[in-house]
Amino acid sequence: MEEYAREPCPYRIVDDCGGAFAMGCIGGGVFQAIKGFRNAPSGFSRRMIGSMAAIKTRSPVIAGNFAVWGGMFSTIDCTLVHFRKKEDPWNSIISGAATGGILAARNGVPAMAGSAIIGGVLLALIEGVGILFTRISAEQFKNPSPPTEDPSALADPANSFSFGPTKNNQYQ
Amino acid sequence: MSDDYLRKPFSIAPSPTVDDPQTATTNYTPATSTFSSAPVSPYLNYDSRFLQQAQPEFIFPEGANKQRGRFELAFSQIGSSVMIGGGIGGLAGVYNGFKATNALNQTGKLRRTQLINHIMKQGSGTANTLGTLAVLYSACGVLLQYARDQDDNVNTIIAGSATGLLYKSTAGLRKCALGGAIGLGISSLYCLYLLSQENNNTNSSPKFL
Repeated sequence: MEEYAREPCPYRIVDDCGGAFAMGCIGGGVFQAIKGFRNAPSGFSRRMIGSMAAIKTRSPVIAGNFAVWGGMFSTIDCTLVHFRKKEDPWNSIISGAATGGILAARNGVPAMAGSAIIGGVLLALIEGVGILFTRISAEQFKNPSPPTEDPSALADPANSFSFGPTKNNQYQ
Repeated sequence: MSDDYLRKPFSIAPSPTVDDPQTATTNYTPATSTFSSAPVSPYLNYDSRFLQQAQPEFIFPEGANKQRGRFELAFSQIGSSVMIGGGIGGLAGVYNGFKATNALNQTGKLRRTQLINHIMKQGSGTANTLGTLAVLYSACGVLLQYARDQDDNVNTIIAGSATGLLYKSTAGLRKCALGGAIGLGISSLYCLYLLSQENNNTNSSPKFL
């Protein structure tokens, strides 16, 4: 993953769509493998067949849903970057909410509102965790604080320190 | 002669007018008029044809690859195949939807909903198929690149055949072999195209391997 850097904006849409599809395909494959294995009739070979069938039928659909989500999210993100002329967490949150709303558009207004809220909260959580990690990792690169130059932290100027027997009685 | 030389302004190349004025004026007129008498930096006295201008010049950090690896290209490949699949499937869905609704004499709201259903269904189906193929191909390609530690046309061919074999691996031996053959055919055609492009770039006459 260390050689992966994000593309500039219009190409990011294709990239995010592909990344989401790959993630959904592999993750959905693992998930459906377990699910198919558990739901199949007993017998090891039947369980393997059930797991395989579940992967074949369900994981491309999950991957497609992921890809649509990623592509739509990235499109709205880039549009917001273009119009707001800045990239900040609000872009992601707004585009997450908008994506959730748009993709639920065929299910009616209440479903749209619910999906939009879920999308926005999810993206806000992700952005918040990202900011938190940045703060934590920035802490260890912080320079040590310089020595205090507050005069009150130093000794009292009235009884100035000096070597010699004259002021020795002060410390006794 | 030495005094004459000292009176001249300093120049890197000894000016030919000092030694023999007649030959110098006949042979070197453009050179003397532009360069020799004035003090010119030696770097300006350089034929610009030796400077590379045709090829792009990049500075690569140490240890970095000259090319982008397969992993960096994988996501954009997958994404573009998903999008192309969605576009093709959507167009086919429009066509099939119009055909079906005309055949059933559906109009108005019903027709609109049916059209959207057709587009969504066919578009997502084609996009999922193409995307899954691209994921399989990219995974095979990335694994091969890591295993063989180089990135060349052999990887492309092996990854293409493996994709075909894997995609049809549950449909019986004959279909599996057919899928592998199709993958092999497409990837080797692509490699032949790449090779002919390379040959065209180096020398203009086409070569056949």
